[in-house]
Parts: sequence; C-alpha cells; structure tokens
Amino acid sequence: MSAIVLESKENLGIIGRMKTLKEMITEARQVVPEEGPAELQARLKSGEPVAVIDVRDPDEYRDGHLEAATNISRGFLEFRVAATVTDPKTPVVLYCQTGLRSVLAAKALKELGYEHVINLQGGYQKWVQSGFPVVRDVPMTPDQIQRYSRHFLLPQVGDKGQAKLLRSKVLLIGAGGLGSPTALYLAAAGVGTLGLMDGDTVDITNLQRQVLHTTADIGKPKVESGTRTLKALNPDINVIPLPMRITVDNVMDVIKDYDLIVDGSDNFETRYLVNDACYLAGKTNVHGSIFQFEGMATVFAPNEGPCYRCLYPTPPPPGLVPS
Amino acid sequence: MQATEAVKLMLGIGEPLIGRLLTYDALGMRFREVKLRRDPRCPLCGTSPTIKDLSIHAEGAAGCEMTPNGHPEPVGAGAVTKAGG
Repeated sequence: MSAIVLESKENLGIIGRMKTLKEMITEARQVVPEEGPAELQARLKSGEPVAVIDVRDPDEYRDGHLEAATNISRGFLEFRVAATVTDPKTPVVLYCQTGLRSVLAAKALKELGYEHVINLQGGYQKWVQSGFPVVRDVPMTPDQIQRYSRHFLLPQVGDKGQAKLLRSKVLLIGAGGLGSPTALYLAAAGVGTLGLMDGDTVDITNLQRQVLHTTADIGKPKVESGTRTLKALNPDINVIPLPMRITVDNVMDVIKDYDLIVDGSDNFETRYLVNDACYLAGKTNVHGSIFQFEGMATVFAPNEGPCYRCLYPTPPPPGLVPS
Repeated sequence: MQATEAVKLMLGIGEPLIGRLLTYDALGMRFREVKLRRDPRCPLCGTSPTIKDLSIHAEGAAGCEMTPNGHPEPVGAGAVTKAGG
C-alpha cells in the first residue's frame, strides 16, 4: 500500500525529485520486519513451514548459501516466487549479501500479497559471522549427471535434492537382513556417506537374505564384504566400515558424525540402546524389525513423535523370542 | 521401506513414518498402519524422564527392563533376544 501513496504524493510523474536509495531502503524497512540469524535458525529448527529465498545472483548463491534457501535472484523474484511459495500465508524469509537488496525485494513481495515477509537482518554475511552452517554447491560431474538423471526428473528431488543426498551421512547399524537392502538402496541413490556398522562375519546361513554378501565372503567381516558390494554398486559414495558391535561405550561417539541413523539390529538390547542414544543426541532413527513373515517399520524423531520406549516400555523376557 | 524413509527424511519431502507404525504381513500380503502416540510417562522422552544418560545400559547396571508402566525397575541384565535381523 505504501508504494501507491509514495507514487501519488512524492513521485507524481517526473515532477517530484528522485528518491535516494537510502530513502527507498528506509521506507522498505518501515514495512518489512527483520529477524536476525539466530531467529531464522530457530524457525528452521522448529519445523514450522517457512520459505527461505536467496535473492542474490546465481554465482553468489553457488559460492555459499543457507541449506534451506532457494535461489531466485532479485530480477526474477516477482516472476518465479509463486513456484516456490505456493501459500501466500507461509512465512517467507529473504536474504542477500548484507540485507539491503533483500529488504527492497521483501517490500515487493509484500505488495504482491505475501502476508508474512521477513528480511534476514545483516544478510548472508551476518549469518556466516554468527557461525551458522552454509552449503556450497559442488558442480556434478558428467558421470553423476547421468547416474542420477532419473532423480532429476522428479520435482521433489531434482538436482538440489541430489546434492543434498550427496552431502548426507547415514549410519547403518547392522549389515544383516534389514541393513543389506537398505544399504544397497541408499548407496544406489547416492547418499554421499554411509557408515556400515556390524561386528559379525558372514555365515552361510546369512546368505538367503543378507544380500550385501556373497558365497565367497563366508568367514569375512560383514562390513568388508558390505563395503565392497556398495562401492561396486556406486563408486561415487564414501563407505565407512565400522567392524564392531555398537555398545554403550561407542554409541555416542559413532552417531555424532551422522545425520540419520538406520537401525537394522537384531536384538532388543541394541534397539533400546540405539533408541536412547539417538534421543539424547537428537538424531532421527529409522527403525525396522522383522520376524519370520512379519516386518515393521517406523521413524523415531526426537520430540516430534514417540520413541521406542513409548512403543515398548518393557522388553520381552529373554527366551520368549526365538533366535 | 527403511531406505525410502531415510531418503524422504534427508530431502524433507513427503510424509515420514513419524508417529506411525507400518506392519507388513508377507503371508497375508497385507500392510497395516497403527498410530503411535508419545507416552507422557515414557522414562526417556516423557514429561518427567528418568533416563537422562546411557548409564542404564552400562555393564552390570539395571539393564533396560521396565515395569509395565514404563518406569525403570532394577532387575537383572537387559533382555538379549534375537529377532530376525
């Protein structure tokens, strides 16, 4: 609304004097609320819907940006914003390098009818100075572009999603019946770092279901055959073999390096341990279990939903569940 | 299923299985979904948690056995049972 007032009173045609940049920014600041890096980080952590738009030029964006941000440079903002922000009620946070270009951009978005537009105070520069994480787009190699081309066709994944997967780190606890297929699919999908943790060696009785391992691997550590299989499937990823059982002494140290934990363990003791450690460390745990012909899966996300102990307060007595 | 969930969570897309338990019966070839709620009395993530570190899992500690109401009760070693894998 303010723009209309300005046009008519101050800048009628070319009669009025030209506005200075400083005046334009001051006016924009009067209508656009600002939030600092800490407030934006809290918003992102809260899981509430928020759209973050980086209005700088693509080369600036490539050099480093907020992970949550979509790049729509200032010149295209009004044309392309609708594809990124579908609901005008969704809070939109805009940023540029120092917060000046974005405050003008934010004013334009407000005038388009976006109800909750916020400018990131101090821009990208202040975000970096505050020590919050940024990501840099590493250009994909021709091999990667071909390998993941089917992902690029999915609007929910795209090249941005693939880059995210390549930056992700997943820990697989257990390279057995559950860990094997999960590891194969995650490796194929291009999850950049896979930690494979298992203290067992391959036994012939494992082979009818634990598809990471082959007959030639009998007697070898499961993480060794697992790593070889995964690297053969996708040499593009990093596999970290962890040839040990997960214990109370190593669990915190191991999980801290990963974004996500996949529990494919085969005993209750480990499931309670992984559950408790993930909750205390704030890590999401993708849980699965299988018995004979029945399987189950769920996700334990700390403070977003229940944990394993909410589901099973009491472990079954030893001996009730056969090996 | 776990791989798909992991990818969804990493990408922040779709509806993850948070608060839902999906069960699969291969013989009947049926999927079932059970809604899960947080237990306010959960000793780990409830309103007044009693588990604040991993000492419950330490060697010789009370193990992880819980009374039916979900509160820890000192008993022998935690259950070590195998289930599939």
